[in-house]
Amino acid sequence: MKRYDLIVVGAGPSGLSAAIEGAKRGLQVVVFDENEKPGGQLFKQIHKFFGSKEHKAKIRGFVIGEQLLKEASELGVKVVLNATVTGLYMDKELVVKIADTIYHYKGDAILIATGAAENMVTFEGWTLPGVIGAGAAQTMMNLHGVKPGNRILMLGSGNVGLVVSFQLLQCGCEVAALVDAAPRVGGYGIHAAKVARCGVPFYLSHTIVKAEGEECVTGVTIAEVDKKFQFIPGTEKHFDVDTICLAVGLSPMSQLLKIAGCEMEDNPKRGGQVPICNEYGETSIKGIFVAGDVSGVEEASSAMIEGRIAGIAAAQYLGYIGIEELEEKFEENKAALEGLRQGMFAPENRGKLIERTEEGIPVSMNLLTKGYIAEDEIERYPGVTHRAGIHPVMECSQNIPCNPCQDACPRHCIQIGSHITSLPVVDESAQCVGCGLCVAACSGQAIFLVQEDYEPGYGTVTIPYEFLPLPQKGEKGYGLDRSGQRVCEAQVMEVKTAKTFDHTNLLTIRVPVDMVGKARFYRKSC
Amino acid sequence: MQHINDRAIAPGTFIPEPDDNRIICRCEEVTKGEIRRAVHEGMYTITEIRRYLRTGMGLCQGQTCARLVKGIVAKELGISPAELIPATSRAPMRPVEMKVLAKEEGRHV
Amino acid sequence: MSRRIAEHPILGVQEKGEKVTFLCDGEILEGYEGEPIAAALRAAGIMKHRYTKKEHTPRGIFCAIGRCTDCVMIVDGKPNIRTCVTPLKQGMKVQTQYGVSPKPFEKQ
Repeated sequence: MKRYDLIVVGAGPSGLSAAIEGAKRGLQVVVFDENEKPGGQLFKQIHKFFGSKEHKAKIRGFVIGEQLLKEASELGVKVVLNATVTGLYMDKELVVKIADTIYHYKGDAILIATGAAENMVTFEGWTLPGVIGAGAAQTMMNLHGVKPGNRILMLGSGNVGLVVSFQLLQCGCEVAALVDAAPRVGGYGIHAAKVARCGVPFYLSHTIVKAEGEECVTGVTIAEVDKKFQFIPGTEKHFDVDTICLAVGLSPMSQLLKIAGCEMEDNPKRGGQVPICNEYGETSIKGIFVAGDVSGVEEASSAMIEGRIAGIAAAQYLGYIGIEELEEKFEENKAALEGLRQGMFAPENRGKLIERTEEGIPVSMNLLTKGYIAEDEIERYPGVTHRAGIHPVMECSQNIPCNPCQDACPRHCIQIGSHITSLPVVDESAQCVGCGLCVAACSGQAIFLVQEDYEPGYGTVTIPYEFLPLPQKGEKGYGLDRSGQRVCEAQVMEVKTAKTFDHTNLLTIRVPVDMVGKARFYRKSC
Repeated sequence: MQHINDRAIAPGTFIPEPDDNRIICRCEEVTKGEIRRAVHEGMYTITEIRRYLRTGMGLCQGQTCARLVKGIVAKELGISPAELIPATSRAPMRPVEMKVLAKEEGRHV
Repeated sequence: MSRRIAEHPILGVQEKGEKVTFLCDGEILEGYEGEPIAAALRAAGIMKHRYTKKEHTPRGIFCAIGRCTDCVMIVDGKPNIRTCVTPLKQGMKVQTQYGVSPKPFEKQ
């Protein structure tokens, strides 16, 4: 039986963050993970994170994963992969299966950071090959380099459904439709907008009737549902697809805590069966802590902070630090955590229809029901401005904690202020030089550079572009509007790629001047 | 703090539904209708359903179907899923072969 | 191998192991050493991994992380091998699983 100061189960963002904080304070830490690769969900996330600098905003998920692993390894944390914790017993004893052998361990403190697993919905044909979870699509695309299919229907409009739809487009798949039984898009509007402007139709208040095919998926039928989620006859729509992706929520994988005897509760706001714990993440059993999605489904940024808090609390529990340091660090991290839990998508606002932003501006209902801001709604938002010369246009219309745009502009054109959920505004007195750093910095790809007076009859729009093949200068194509419809002819003026842009290319297209407020995406002429 | 299932709840007569042939437990191929019928036959807890029908006892050990089974049983009893006693969680958390369970090594990581 | 992503706009060109060949139901297929068997099968357009014991219905990849066990096949003679988490090796013999047998149901 081997003994460790702190045993962490799960090498995802919260587990690694806790291990790092424990190791920093002198604890001997081991992390067990049942997967072949560490990092939990981080390595599947290829988009830039939100929040502020302290929340690792602007950095892509898999890069954060690499950073955490490096830091843990430098501090002497042992990470054991392909190690399945099969049981958690009295006195914090663990049984771990590594390869073909069972090992016993004892932790003076234990942190369970096992995350959450995907939920299921059933429909006729859901067991056919070709029906996969959204996580499966991400694993196949981003870890194994294989397209899950050619033409896909996505079920679920939360952040997972929206983000994975975009990732499918990025690796060359077609997304036939994005469907959700709920009446409104559940995830961030900017994630939806990225997908909508590529031409993916959104069908809210719809769900799947059946997946068709004899031996694998060849098509799917969806239909509208009423307020009681019953199908409305006559509203069926059919799509030819070879893959159906399910993104219908996550449930904490908290069984180990149940085995150990921790007090549990069924909390729908947290995703299901979760342990009852205090603000430091300590469960009803002293010395057993939790952090991350297993204690309440949220996201990676909050998981990391919860992990840090739990790691520091474990260090105090074991006597490596005093209560003063715990309280001090807790206050710091709590502030960071609260910074994330604000705005339209704060946990307390879940399920509520927020009709106005904090600034009192009506929220775009079209964004919530179709995935894009409508022509007659876009001018409401403070970031959407009109000026002589080149200037930023920020189509950021919901209060989410995020501010990389403010720091990106070398001329201080963009203001958010200390309250990071505020909508960005353009400083009228500052002079935009068209460098495009803001366009590349915006994790939501919601900033565009517009020049209404480029030349007689034409204006230019610079859009963030994260697809291959990259358009070529001089190439001719079409400008698409926010809903993905072709609205005009467009010619590529410039394609800018730079290391600081971190794979977000800047594509400048020339369009008829009356289209500069409409054209938000580009497609080459066939 | 878990509510004990009230055995006095009468689920009423079994009314067939059009999706009763929907597979719920993918590993053991147990359908929605079989689960609903089991409730009417007196199985009110997840553990009983599991023992009776083998839902959650297949290769994946309930990873996929657990929440679905809970929802179906709760709906049949007319209560919220949160009121059902969850199935007993027991080690091993993942399927382990007997020969591996028996192989305990002295050497450690 | 048209289902393979040649170059990804964010991830670039993925590093792969050595190219290897393996057998799937007697057919010779190509893949990369170390990648999950299921990835090589998907790249080759193969969707069906097994047929269920009771209803004889086809199953394939569902969760892709080794939890749901729908993608299991017979690998080098051993049934119930999760192809989404088992690394591919040169010369591996992979067979569709009918129940737990390599023989189609009529022949069992």
